[in-house]
Amino acid sequence: MKPRSLLDTLFEPGAISVVFQPIVDCRRATRRLYALECLVRGPAGTNMEDPEVLLEYVRRKREEARIDRVCVGTALRAAAVLPPHPRICVNVHASTLGRDRDFVTFLAEVAAENGIATTRLTVEIVEHAPPWDGPGFLNALVALRERGVRVALDDVGLGQSNYKMILDACPEYLKIDRYFVQGAHRDPRREAVLESVAQLARRFGARVVAEGVEDEADLAAVTARGIELIQGFLFSAALPMDRLLESGILDATFPSFPIREVAPPR
Amino acid sequence: MGHKRSGGSDGTVIAGMAAGTIVEKQVTGSYRMLVVDDEEPILFAMREYFSTYGYRVDCARELEEAEALVLKHRYDLVLADLRLTDIYGAEGLSLIGHVRECSPRTHIILLTAYGSPEVEHEARRLGVASVLHKPKPLPEVAQIVFGLLGARSDS
Repeated sequence: MKPRSLLDTLFEPGAISVVFQPIVDCRRATRRLYALECLVRGPAGTNMEDPEVLLEYVRRKREEARIDRVCVGTALRAAAVLPPHPRICVNVHASTLGRDRDFVTFLAEVAAENGIATTRLTVEIVEHAPPWDGPGFLNALVALRERGVRVALDDVGLGQSNYKMILDACPEYLKIDRYFVQGAHRDPRREAVLESVAQLARRFGARVVAEGVEDEADLAAVTARGIELIQGFLFSAALPMDRLLESGILDATFPSFPIREVAPPR
Repeated sequence: MGHKRSGGSDGTVIAGMAAGTIVEKQVTGSYRMLVVDDEEPILFAMREYFSTYGYRVDCARELEEAEALVLKHRYDLVLADLRLTDIYGAEGLSLIGHVRECSPRTHIILLTAYGSPEVEHEARRLGVASVLHKPKPLPEVAQIVFGLLGARSDS
């Protein structure tokens, strides 16, 4: 009998799990939970437990659309128990939106099955590969917005998350990668990048999410540039749903202490 | 990477390894290696063997899995089989190119049961440190590994 391929094992029921990391709105002195990003994990104890390895492997197998469906399905099923206020962010490859013509319908159906309004959803576009189906991608964005889904561009400043993508996708959110955030308080060049992205977002009517904020000094550097949506270990690690529910994060006021349950990816 | 080596020449390392002394663990510990082979028993044996010498050993069965790991982690050494599936037959060479691009200082050893002068020439051209022909006793593979890593930490 032919042994199961690694790819096959990833698509077995229960192989993929999801954890949730808060995005905190720091506009006011009282920090509030704004959204939860659903982050995928592969089978525990394997190389694929690390999301970077998992997604890179899947991309090399050209199975982005398949894994995106599994991840979105897993995430929204888990998110069904959440209260109605936080937005829910799911990661989707641009190539999936371009090639999988039924993906938006699939997303809407899974959301409906789990009692989640599509207006609560943000699709975070990730892409690491050069050109995909441009017209299909743009059509998918239209279809998402017709359903009230917002669009975020992930990893701004890296790879394919460039000016062209910003123009094409016209995202409601620009997520600036941790590479530019960490150490910003002591690096004028990083501060310049943050300022530039914040200005760009304002011109586009978008909001910026700073990823990878791990200390108060970087938080101050980020918020000083008008960036108010914050994600990172300063506030909370990514948590499995049971820990999230008992953490207090879902309360109206964000707790003042960091919540560290799941270690950051290796 | 802060590797420490208490042995002398490569011969010292090999002798220590063969004798199974405590010193040998100090010599070889703290390295990270990736073993790539589509045969689980080989992966298991390599992991068990090199782990006893303090190595951190990652294993991959497929080319794409290995490539993803190489992007994520910095390896001191990659030990790869030439043929990972029956379909393409020379994925090991593809992996070598990827490793060279991502991590030029990583040592690479190619294992093959289907060696030919052409394959060996190509592997050398791509910067493979050693081409080993299967079957190869594990201690002999280990000698090459320890020799390479010891040599680098001296340089």
